[in-house]
Amino acid sequence: MSHSDLRVAIAGCGKIADQHVQAIDRIPGCRIVALCDRELLMAKQLGERCGVSQCFSDVVEMLAAVSPDVVHITTPPQAHFSLASLCLESGSHVYLEKPFTVTATEADRLIQIAEKRDLRLTAGHNCQFTREAIEMRRLVKQGFLGGKPVHLESHFSYDLSDKSYVGPLLGNRSHWVRRLPGKLLHNLISHGIAKLAEFLDDEIAEIFVFADQSPELERLNGEDVLDELRVLIRDGSGTTAFFFFSTQVKPRLNRLRICGPLNSLVLDQNSSSLIRNVSRNYKSYLTFFIPPLQSARENMRNAGVNLRNFVRRRLYQDYGMTELISRFYSSIRDSQAPPIPYREILLTAKIMDEIFGQIYDGDCPKLKPEPVPA
Amino acid sequence: MNQERIVLSSERILVSGSNGFIGTRVVDALLRYGFSSIRCFVRPSSRLDGLYKVRDRYSAADTVELFQGDLLSPQDCQRAVDGCSIIYHLAAGSDKSFAGSFMNSVLTTRNLMDATVGRAELKRFVNVSSFAVYSALKIQRRGVLDETCPLEDSPQERYDPYGFGKLKQEELVKEYGKKFGLPYVILRPGTVFGPGKRELSGRVGIGTFGVFIQVSGFNLLPLTFVDNCAEAIVLAGLKPGVEGEVFNVVDDELLTSGQFLSRYKKSVKRFLSVRIPYFAAHLLCLLWENYSRTSKGQLPPVFNRRRCAAEWKQIRFTNQKLRNRLGWKPRIGLEPAMLSFLSQFTDR
Repeated sequence: MSHSDLRVAIAGCGKIADQHVQAIDRIPGCRIVALCDRELLMAKQLGERCGVSQCFSDVVEMLAAVSPDVVHITTPPQAHFSLASLCLESGSHVYLEKPFTVTATEADRLIQIAEKRDLRLTAGHNCQFTREAIEMRRLVKQGFLGGKPVHLESHFSYDLSDKSYVGPLLGNRSHWVRRLPGKLLHNLISHGIAKLAEFLDDEIAEIFVFADQSPELERLNGEDVLDELRVLIRDGSGTTAFFFFSTQVKPRLNRLRICGPLNSLVLDQNSSSLIRNVSRNYKSYLTFFIPPLQSARENMRNAGVNLRNFVRRRLYQDYGMTELISRFYSSIRDSQAPPIPYREILLTAKIMDEIFGQIYDGDCPKLKPEPVPA
Repeated sequence: MNQERIVLSSERILVSGSNGFIGTRVVDALLRYGFSSIRCFVRPSSRLDGLYKVRDRYSAADTVELFQGDLLSPQDCQRAVDGCSIIYHLAAGSDKSFAGSFMNSVLTTRNLMDATVGRAELKRFVNVSSFAVYSALKIQRRGVLDETCPLEDSPQERYDPYGFGKLKQEELVKEYGKKFGLPYVILRPGTVFGPGKRELSGRVGIGTFGVFIQVSGFNLLPLTFVDNCAEAIVLAGLKPGVEGEVFNVVDDELLTSGQFLSRYKKSVKRFLSVRIPYFAAHLLCLLWENYSRTSKGQLPPVFNRRRCAAEWKQIRFTNQKLRNRLGWKPRIGLEPAMLSFLSQFTDR
């Protein structure tokens, strides 16, 4: 290891920290120097598995002892703001797992601290850095859509059958997920919203929210936890966006559709594919034969790309996270702008604030029809 | 049966994981033994149907106390252990991640043990571990696996989060035994089977690739029928003079994976399975392991030589220590046990 290696610390050694360790391990020019968790045993178990001996249960102590260049904060979101502030104040750059903060106000304040101290800050919106997402961004910049997006659709689903996640949070009313303003939704929708925020204006004109509880969650005694969400958004320039989140649908969804005035794109992150829908006119019955064949060709092209990447050993699951971290580290080394513009991080937080405000503080409509009074 | 016990039947007993596959049988056995104060630690979101059935069968609404709480909460653990003479700790982390498994196996156990420190009333802490803690890498083919065999020394390479959690849990229990005099006993059940568990053990074979692949077919399964296993767990809490001991739990009569799969296919459903010899599986695991390393985890090392040896090597098992020291013997023989297991697929 050279002296210019970035010295990285991880605060929060739960499940997601393993993915960070694996991603950092793939990036040259950096090394993990310290681990921290409120439960020292958690830090030690990760340290034992990834060969890091400096383990702490207090972030302040860790910052004083190690002075890391970068801190990855992978704790529950309630601790994000205070921990990130401490890290920034002590001179470390910060990578914050999603959701970035609990509120947009906290996000704004963190960004201000980072800018004031000339430090970099990023959010764990790694879905935006998969190969297909990068390719989609490139096409949009090249003008493939034929202009500004007219409409966006982000579909995201979650499988409640993973009881290792749902069990603890339903079994404990004071579980950290249930203490978030948006509860379960707060912890799950960031990726889907961030994908929309990238293509929306800063000024959001209107947001309509529908939220409900699925029959499965009702059966599991989900109490006040909601897991069905539909959101309609319109930005200041008239672009509309629809966000769909569900725990009921199969097969799983993690998709973004961007419709432009000329062409459209469909990004499917479950199958790592990007479908380009090009507008063409066909005569008569050819309309029924050529477009399906073109779709088939697009799907074959994606399968080929994935196969090629697999053979080249570049089709690993945490590619997006590795790419995001790598770009973040480059921005630190080269004193460049971080990979995710702060505008997008803030807009994501603001949209989420508005959604949860309408659900839990307001009176947003449900999806199930209200029973008719007798 | 030797009735010598370290506690009176009126003393309070705590069972964590009491609504689980083995836990309900442990509660059943305790009621059968005549215990009149059983506290069952359950999560508020847990399905308690099995536990209710046991309670109703013994008309034991006053005997069985349902204690709702979270083992990750030290306060809940403090309240749960209050006044308990024996703790049967069955709750375990079955999370797919290392961190999740560690948290749900080790932190929970730590909280429970912390709550017992300084409590004179505790006479026994029975920690239910697993065969997953053993390493079979250095055991000779047809050798015998017993309590003295080496434990897994590289759980990361084995890529078994459950086994990792159990290994660390055992280490911590032993540490509390040394530091605080915790009167622990550790049980390591083999492959627990019975009605209520429908999945085939990985030791029988793997269905990951669309076709069911059976390795060897001649490897003996360390089977223990759930009721027999529960009986061993209960005895580990009651017998005097076994503090600090470790017991493997396997039944007397065992089947090979080939015999087990054949019975399963006949009774449950027919499906295509392919049998490959052990050496071929070992070679494939070696290749997979190497590919996983060189590709930096493009394929996670789920198949590796350590797992191959642990699950498919032809080794034998013994329950001698369990029989000699705890006076245990299987209550249910192999044939009725298999019928009971298979009946869950046919009974409506």
